[in-house]
Amino acid sequence: MANTLMLGWEFPPLFSGGLGVATYGMVKALSRNNSIRLIIPSASSIDLQNVNIVGLNKVNAEEINLERLRFDFSFLENVHQLPIAISPYHHVNENLETISKDEFELLVEGKATVSTIHHLFSGKEVYGRDIMHKVYVFSKLAEQIALNSEFDLIHAHDWVTYLAGIKIKQRTGKPLILHVHALETDRAGESTRNEIYGLEKNAMLLADKIIAVSQYTKNQIALHYGIDPSKISVVHNGIDQAKPERKRHQLKDKLVVFLGRLTNQKGPEFLLETARKVCTVYPRVKFVVAGTGDMFIHLLETSAYHKLGSKFIFTGFLSKEKANELLSMADVYFMPSVSEPFGLTALEAAQHQVPSVISNRSGAAEVIQSSLSADFWDTDKYANYIHALLRYNALSKELSARANEQLDSLTWNHASEKIEKIYHEILKNN
Amino acid sequence: MPSVCFYFQVHQPFRLKHYDCFKIGHDHFYEDEKSNKEILDRVSRKCYLPSNYTMLSLIDKHQGDFKIAYSLSGTVIEQMEKYRPDVLRSFQALTETGCVEFLSETYYHSLSFLYSKNEFVRQVKKHREKIKEHFNQEPTVFRNTELIYNNEIANFISIQGYKGIICEGVDHLLGYRNSNFIYHPPQNQNIKCLLKNYKLSDDIAFRFSNKGWDEWPLTAPKFANWVHQVAGNGETINLFMDYETFGEHQWPETGIFDFLAHAPSQILAHPDFDFKTPSEVIKKYEARGEYDAPNLTSWADIERDLSAWLGNSLQHDAMERIYALEKKVKETQDQNLIDCWAKLLTSDHFYYMCTKYWNDGDVHKYFSHYNSPHDAYINFMNVVTDLEHVLEMEEEKTEKLSIQSPM
Repeated sequence: MANTLMLGWEFPPLFSGGLGVATYGMVKALSRNNSIRLIIPSASSIDLQNVNIVGLNKVNAEEINLERLRFDFSFLENVHQLPIAISPYHHVNENLETISKDEFELLVEGKATVSTIHHLFSGKEVYGRDIMHKVYVFSKLAEQIALNSEFDLIHAHDWVTYLAGIKIKQRTGKPLILHVHALETDRAGESTRNEIYGLEKNAMLLADKIIAVSQYTKNQIALHYGIDPSKISVVHNGIDQAKPERKRHQLKDKLVVFLGRLTNQKGPEFLLETARKVCTVYPRVKFVVAGTGDMFIHLLETSAYHKLGSKFIFTGFLSKEKANELLSMADVYFMPSVSEPFGLTALEAAQHQVPSVISNRSGAAEVIQSSLSADFWDTDKYANYIHALLRYNALSKELSARANEQLDSLTWNHASEKIEKIYHEILKNN
Repeated sequence: MPSVCFYFQVHQPFRLKHYDCFKIGHDHFYEDEKSNKEILDRVSRKCYLPSNYTMLSLIDKHQGDFKIAYSLSGTVIEQMEKYRPDVLRSFQALTETGCVEFLSETYYHSLSFLYSKNEFVRQVKKHREKIKEHFNQEPTVFRNTELIYNNEIANFISIQGYKGIICEGVDHLLGYRNSNFIYHPPQNQNIKCLLKNYKLSDDIAFRFSNKGWDEWPLTAPKFANWVHQVAGNGETINLFMDYETFGEHQWPETGIFDFLAHAPSQILAHPDFDFKTPSEVIKKYEARGEYDAPNLTSWADIERDLSAWLGNSLQHDAMERIYALEKKVKETQDQNLIDCWAKLLTSDHFYYMCTKYWNDGDVHKYFSHYNSPHDAYINFMNVVTDLEHVLEMEEEKTEKLSIQSPM
């Protein structure tokens, strides 16, 4: 039983990637035994028992004491226009919302009112071009709120909340747990050493404990951030237990589904190369690509160049319902990610009884042992696996049945028990 | 006067090379010649040659009082012919002592009895011919692949003229009785069953080097003492195991060869004990009761069933696909094609697909060169798909010919 100050960023209904889904599932399961104060940029009307949700988009003036706060954005002068690659979740086709400079000026001059804050955090874009400003403002406000709160420990989700986590730890002396859902090295490549990487690394050094969503991510933290592995615990995410039904599609071809943002991290070029190879040995196939991103045009043009236009179906971004419908008709789920800390979609595919071929640089490959995994660049192996799943029905059935069994142990309750143990140990030592 | 009956299994499969989907329709050679040769070389160096040498010295030393039996699969003999004729000669040298017996089995170390009686009979016959050719013996005792056994197999093989059959001594089938007597199948006095004493056999084969075992280290006098305790409650102690136990599964450093070199004299130190081959055992001892095995049993794993080869849907699927080709393959009358198909029936291919203990990383993993049972299945199925393709081409050829030829 702990009193937790949780710092989150994405939360339903506003989310862009897996972070919102994971935060919600975890908070809900943890709230059975713990009381939680959750600070997020933007809260809706979602209400959870034992959870006090504070959204900065509707925060009370008393909690933040704006008059005394001084904002200084000078450290950001050189990075007003952040390169797109460091934004964690791209929506290239959507216009990024830019917060008007005036609002930041008001903050710097100490003239901002609580409605300025509400406005700042009520946009629909959870990251956006001004993400660094938002992260900074979030940290200052969360610190203020924390000083008015009772709690035993701080639990911060992903880099966007780490700055706030550090500040609160420094002001209150309470232990800080970082929950790593993704790393800058996943998003921007292993050799990345940008501001976000620096922020992550500093936070990791200062934190009392780090929770990684997979053994793979734990290894990455140790390798690229130089953190002592004994400080890092692995807690695999849960998945809401569901048994969706299979649907039949009307196409004569079999469907291989790719679901995710079309960014380098997700390996779209390996998708293309694999598709080209699969088509030479199994022509009765279509690759359905659901998602959008900065690689879309490249993928579209290259597939046409290889005369594979008729083999690809690009759906664009799909809503949750549409994505589920697609999975319920899929024959193979394909996730050739270069780096995938967890890979919730592979688990969702498994729920839909779809066997998957996935990159072994993923958390999903750890938890679904019956998936077929390969090195992210090994398109021969990917193609051999996809071909086998398309041609040998017994394999498809066996793997999807096993994967479905393996999901049974991946519940949020199970994950929250592990987290509670970590809470307990930290509180014992402090 | 109880007898100790040793039988050693010698087998190597023709392992398949990495065969991905891009090879289907283009590459019709499936064997991994390099690794088959390398593994035979390794096992010959570590086990076959030193063990044969030890056996030969023991036979020499005991002047006819030490006897053993082997079962060599057709596939391992073929590999020896091809890669290691010296090893084959060392087995032939053992035959010449008159103290070594060879058993009958399916040529391709297959589960053919369960899928095709025709193919089973063909393989048993082919194996007899091979044994006759190299060792000039005509076996009277049969051992089925992995000691897969039930009443039906015993009855079937007895009709073929065999006098004895080797099987596992399964506790629940024995009830209060033990494996140290000869039995016969229900309503059939024409064939005798030799039951493996799995406790004493596995003490050597599996537990010998296990330091966590409370009887470790196992010495020759200690083992002989256990054997001698059977006196008065048994007539034959059947010690059946893989030959690779010596030097390959149990490394030389464990002292296994010393144990082997000393165990026979320790056993013979008791005047009531001797060594007999399986055919001598069934000649000497009467069947003392019925051994009723209505269901299939084997010597594998703790389950002693067929789940190592037919425990999941992948294994069933692969097995059915390959046996479904029998008619077409045989109709071609192309000996190369028939051999190629039959090599795919070897039980090892299906063992590699076993998923039951895969996650524990146990003995199954040790025996497999695949990263996972799924990889094993995919590789095998790609090969089968190519073979199906080859057969279709053959069919087309014959159809064309029959159209062209006048009535």
